[in-house]
Amino acid sequence: MTPEQLEKLESIERVREGYAELGYICSRQIATAIYIAGHLGKPVLVEGPAGVGKTELANTTAAYLDLPLIRLQCYEGLDESKALYEWRYAKQLLYTQILRDKLGEVLGEAQGLKESMDRLHAHADVFFSERFLAPRPLLKALREPGGAVLLIDEVDKSDHEFEAFLLEILSEFQVSIPELGTIKAARRPVVFLTSNNTREMSDALKRRCLHLYVPFPDARLEREIIQARIPEIPQDLKYQLVAFVQQVRELDLKKHPSVSESIDWARVLLLLHADELEADMVRETLNVFLKFEEDIQSVDAELYAITRQAKKVDGVRA
Amino acid sequence: MERTFTNFLSALRGADIRVSVAETLDAMETARLMGWSDRQSLHDALAMALAKTPEEKVGFTHIFDKFFAFESFHDRQDEEASGENGQAADGGDLAAMLEAGDRAALALAMQEAAVEVGVENIRFFTQRGLYTQRVLQQMGIEGVDAQIQAMGGQGGGGSAGQALRESRMWLFEQVRNFVEQQLSLQGAATSQELREDRLRRSRLGNLDRRDREQMRRIVEKICRRLVALHSRRRKMKNRGQLDIRRTMRRNYGNDGVLFELEWKKRKLDRPRIMAICDVSGSVASVARFLLQFLYELHELLHDIRSFAFSGYLIEVSEHFKDNIADAAADKVMQKVGYMPTDYGESLTNFRENFLADVDRNTTIIFLGDARSNNTDPKAEYLKEMHERCKRLIWLNPEPPPLWGTGDSEMRRYRPYCDLLRECNTLNHLERVVNDLLETAQRAA
Repeated sequence: MTPEQLEKLESIERVREGYAELGYICSRQIATAIYIAGHLGKPVLVEGPAGVGKTELANTTAAYLDLPLIRLQCYEGLDESKALYEWRYAKQLLYTQILRDKLGEVLGEAQGLKESMDRLHAHADVFFSERFLAPRPLLKALREPGGAVLLIDEVDKSDHEFEAFLLEILSEFQVSIPELGTIKAARRPVVFLTSNNTREMSDALKRRCLHLYVPFPDARLEREIIQARIPEIPQDLKYQLVAFVQQVRELDLKKHPSVSESIDWARVLLLLHADELEADMVRETLNVFLKFEEDIQSVDAELYAITRQAKKVDGVRA
Repeated sequence: MERTFTNFLSALRGADIRVSVAETLDAMETARLMGWSDRQSLHDALAMALAKTPEEKVGFTHIFDKFFAFESFHDRQDEEASGENGQAADGGDLAAMLEAGDRAALALAMQEAAVEVGVENIRFFTQRGLYTQRVLQQMGIEGVDAQIQAMGGQGGGGSAGQALRESRMWLFEQVRNFVEQQLSLQGAATSQELREDRLRRSRLGNLDRRDREQMRRIVEKICRRLVALHSRRRKMKNRGQLDIRRTMRRNYGNDGVLFELEWKKRKLDRPRIMAICDVSGSVASVARFLLQFLYELHELLHDIRSFAFSGYLIEVSEHFKDNIADAAADKVMQKVGYMPTDYGESLTNFRENFLADVDRNTTIIFLGDARSNNTDPKAEYLKEMHERCKRLIWLNPEPPPLWGTGDSEMRRYRPYCDLLRECNTLNHLERVVNDLLETAQRAA
């Protein structure tokens, strides 16, 4: 961390304000997590339902600290060669073809096999050098001279082997490449791992990380988030919309509307020039934040009640 | 400070939050970074370093609130605090502090005394009085007592003596509260462990109804571990037969040179299980837990069917599919329970209705004491089952010396069992289930 970056992380309040300026409203817990992670240099494992801004957190951190964001999307079957490094085999083959003549020159006057070998060895491992190394996200993050924000997205989708493989990077910030030796981080990257909890992460991984659980925001926080993202939204609409979404999250649905979806919904309503929630308009736009037919039906059944309630909450405020 | 911290961690462990040494170090560093002044921030920060699932976070908050609660010292009435300062100091520092009503100093003194006598070692309810006395002594209560006595000797002692006596009473209350708090934090861990250990080893037949809830939790815990253990092993797939086609395709980019190899994925062989349970008398309670085990582990097992019998045999799979609660077990008991056991008849029922479903992949688990009330045991039917299935495991709740005594037909059934085990505690059950999964692993 450079002094400027440390200064930006000087207190929890400072972090909150800085993020708010970038349009990311974080709760106290989130700000605390960033503060600690920045100072202790520990990776943060972020868990929570989909669409609460886990990935966005890493984006904002990169913007706030003015670091490049390097993202590794996990999926089943992801392995070292795609996450860490790969030798450019094709390039190696091509070069051996092109350099065949040169090889002859090098070995020109050499007598016998042993001498030829010695000559070759004198030229070091040209084909297994940095030039033929294709760095993948993890290695890139380690070699970034000014540090980086490394986002390992949806780590729960990866295999157990990959999880185990991450351990060295997360605790030592170094990787071992057999042909080149151990590569240490130029400057410790800020690491975020996100997980949607489709499977339980191993204890070994959790032990190396700080654990941040991001739940759905409460009404106040969600209003702030919408205000930050869509400053031109009418006040009444904002209050009613948040009250509506909060109520929908209480229902027994297949998938609850996420924060990003309520932002989308707010944008849609704004496009339709709505000043406040109308049952008919809500019905027509339900598909913006509900993605299953059953969910739409069950919300539709209680649409009037929820809308009325949302307006009442708004009335209390006034 | 470090001592307080380790005490806090041991309290956390008591509440089933796993804390490793590495995490301990992280937490201490975190605490140093955050400072001890802002309670909420400290809580948030430590929660991140120590509690790593949503459930653990809830437990953490609970323990944190309990552990770092010193409100009791602020309840003291102000008049006492402003009580007149008569002759001080000669009763020792404690008396002075009491008279001055210096709560912060008292709290500190109590903490120090507590560390000195090792209150964190308190484990049982009965040790409460002992530790309260020790802490008070360490704080120097004798000096205060002597002073009170001296004041009393001077004839009543006046208001100062009275005030001091009241303060002493108050201090006693505080210390006892504190010790009780420690007991509930530290003792909970040990007594929980003791109880769990006892339950795991006690015979399932003798179990109290009130222990059932706890038992269910223990079974869940064991199952979580088994699932983690065995699902990890299943992921090993980097050896076996080479998949030429996929390897070629993958290496096109390398000019057809086979740098990276692809292996044929092995088919997972999850065992198919048929559990046949005697539900008469003491066997019923073992059956209940066996079924709970099997259904908790459904993701590792291919297909589970369960059958219950006493006088005759029926399939009970659908009762246990959704809920393993007592309700299901009770329903089953109503249907087939409370009848004289007839193994012959039950085996006949099974042979007629379900034997056709037994195939080479089926593992049959038979749970029963083989006491058939002197009816024809029809061991030849069991032989047929044995021949058709992959493995026949017989679990008997009775200890081995009783097998074959009285009306027990165990000896006659024995030749047809691939595995015969005594099984009447949770520990036994765990071993059996683990064995079951392990063999499946090897076969795969």
